[in-house]
Amino acid sequence: MTAIEIYDPALCCSTGVCGTEVDQALVSFAADVDWAKQNGARIERFNLAQQPLAFAENAIVKAFLERSGQEALPLVLVAGEVALAGRYPSRSELARWAGLVETATEPKHSGCCGGGSC
Amino acid sequence: MKFLEQPPRFLFFTGKGGVGKTSIACATAIALAEAGRRVLLVSTDPASNVAQVFGTIIGNRITDIPGAPGLSALEIDPQAAAQAYRDRIVGPVRGLLPDAVVKGIEEQLSGACTTEIAAFDEFTALLVDSALTANYDHIVFDTAPTGHTIRLLQLPGAWSGFLESGKGDASCLGPLAGLDKQRAQYGRAVEALADAERTRLVLVARAQRSALNEIARTHKELAAIGIAQQYLVINGLLPEEEAKQDSLAAAIYEREQAALRALPAELAALPCDRVALRPFNLVGLDALRQLLGATPSPANASEDEPIALDAPSLSELVDAIAADGHGLVMLMGKGGVGKTTLAAAVAVELARRGLPVHLTTSDPAAHLSETLHGSLEHLKVSRIDPHAETERYRREILAAKGAELDAAGRALLEEDLRSPCTEEIAVFQAFSRIIREAGESFVVMDTAPTGHTLLLLDATGAYHREVARQLDAKGAHYTTPMMQLQNPKQTKVLLATLAETTPVLEAAGLQADLRRAGIEPWAWIINNSVAAARPHSPLLRQRARNEIREIDAVAATHARRYAIVPLLKEEPVGVSRLLELAGRAVEAA
Repeated sequence: MTAIEIYDPALCCSTGVCGTEVDQALVSFAADVDWAKQNGARIERFNLAQQPLAFAENAIVKAFLERSGQEALPLVLVAGEVALAGRYPSRSELARWAGLVETATEPKHSGCCGGGSC
Repeated sequence: MKFLEQPPRFLFFTGKGGVGKTSIACATAIALAEAGRRVLLVSTDPASNVAQVFGTIIGNRITDIPGAPGLSALEIDPQAAAQAYRDRIVGPVRGLLPDAVVKGIEEQLSGACTTEIAAFDEFTALLVDSALTANYDHIVFDTAPTGHTIRLLQLPGAWSGFLESGKGDASCLGPLAGLDKQRAQYGRAVEALADAERTRLVLVARAQRSALNEIARTHKELAAIGIAQQYLVINGLLPEEEAKQDSLAAAIYEREQAALRALPAELAALPCDRVALRPFNLVGLDALRQLLGATPSPANASEDEPIALDAPSLSELVDAIAADGHGLVMLMGKGGVGKTTLAAAVAVELARRGLPVHLTTSDPAAHLSETLHGSLEHLKVSRIDPHAETERYRREILAAKGAELDAAGRALLEEDLRSPCTEEIAVFQAFSRIIREAGESFVVMDTAPTGHTLLLLDATGAYHREVARQLDAKGAHYTTPMMQLQNPKQTKVLLATLAETTPVLEAAGLQADLRRAGIEPWAWIINNSVAAARPHSPLLRQRARNEIREIDAVAATHARRYAIVPLLKEEPVGVSRLLELAGRAVEAA
């Protein structure tokens, strides 16, 4: 199955509660990743503050950081290629990349940018 | 002393900085060693004066104490532990990733949470059975982890797939990512803490109403986690005979006794010991042996020895603040140093000069803001309730963001929302609505965010957006909020502290943190100074003498400018007493 890698910006909390506004996109995305994993998707997340080495060791990610800076994160790689940058993917995007079929139980939330870091 | 009777293997002392935890822990360790036990004393005192106390170099390795058979000591420096931890994570990518990125990561790992977790990491090895500690009957710690840290470590959601795989989505536990220890070891350490057979927690406080209320909260929080065996020590009580010596001593004695009579019910139920204020410095084995003894020792400072004190008054400091005509004044300091009172004194001084002032406080008691409101022309007073603001913030986030999380995720989010950072942010957010007034008049606040929080908020841009939205609504002109805070013409941060070793060090830590954010504290205020109150009682004069060294350190190394506020006989409530607090008429005794 295709590997999906997500390179997160440096967040002091992945839920983002340390910001004055919690990023809804981030909270929804955490739920979507859980859903996709339970359905067999291979997804890995890397937090810049916790696993910076993962960013430095991947040539594509490193070059992206040098060119666009950490403000441009998150960065999503699918099978090692850049699939998306600057926002988190929606559940349907995750499903498509991972080759999953979405069920009807998807919670209602906007697939587009929910503000915050994008 | 009740807390010394039938002691279990682990003894923890907890309480605010400056209450004397380290002295009592040292005295306890000596008492147990002299009773024939083998004792290891573990200190995280930032003042690192355990070495000084015992007259030997200790450091981060177990060292036998000369002259005290059976006693060994170990010093843990939480700052150094946190730095080592940061180096482990950031070191490998330095030079590989852009400098701005590396700096951002370092800031993420520079908060109080990281320091606390790094210190706990050092503890774990001592709490689980190992060759390291097998030789000791008792291990005495001069600090204890907070409820927030322990709860996080207990949450399964915080661990699932986190430490084991080294990845995942934990939150405030993020700082744990680079730690060496295994989850099982943390589990055993937390278990040992919650085991009444093995662990005793001693709460240490001074006899002050607000301090006792705070320690009551600590008691409830830790009891709820399962740390049931708790004792209370009231330290530094002024002896009754001293009250006859002068009116200041009498007033302090009365205030302390009143605080003890009003002891919160949950504390009154605990076994309690009282330790008298000592006239001597708690350095050396002999002095420490006397600390927990019953016999009072006479003070040796005589009336005729002058106390040399150059004490610039708060009023002089306010002259310089007033010169700018408007601006934001923020009082910053650890809990219990009197920020609310000092903010009120600054506001009253400004208003008395005919300048428009808005004093806004987070005073939970509210009596100060009530007594001042409408009492002085040019002075407007408002108050936010920190608990209500934090609760509201938590509820909003849980309702909006927690809905889609599973049980474990929700528990983690709830614990994140109980972190000290959350309260700081919620309170500052509430204040930010008032800050914009500082363009035309004075705004005086009794709290300020730490440099760490400001840097994080600035980095995410969330704070910027928040304030920008509020300013735009008024059509006001502004640069960025961070620039406003960094400009001393617009914002003055006053660091409040007490003339004691640990509080001065804690204030210096806050100052370093602000400097990282490009904010230079404008002045220091030393509150409740006994020396500036010119006491006659020998015990108080001895204390006054001890203060001089700390005041000199503030004047010579820490502060660009400073003021000293004397300890008053009566609680500084109301306009006239606040003016007395700021008074120009403080002279050397």
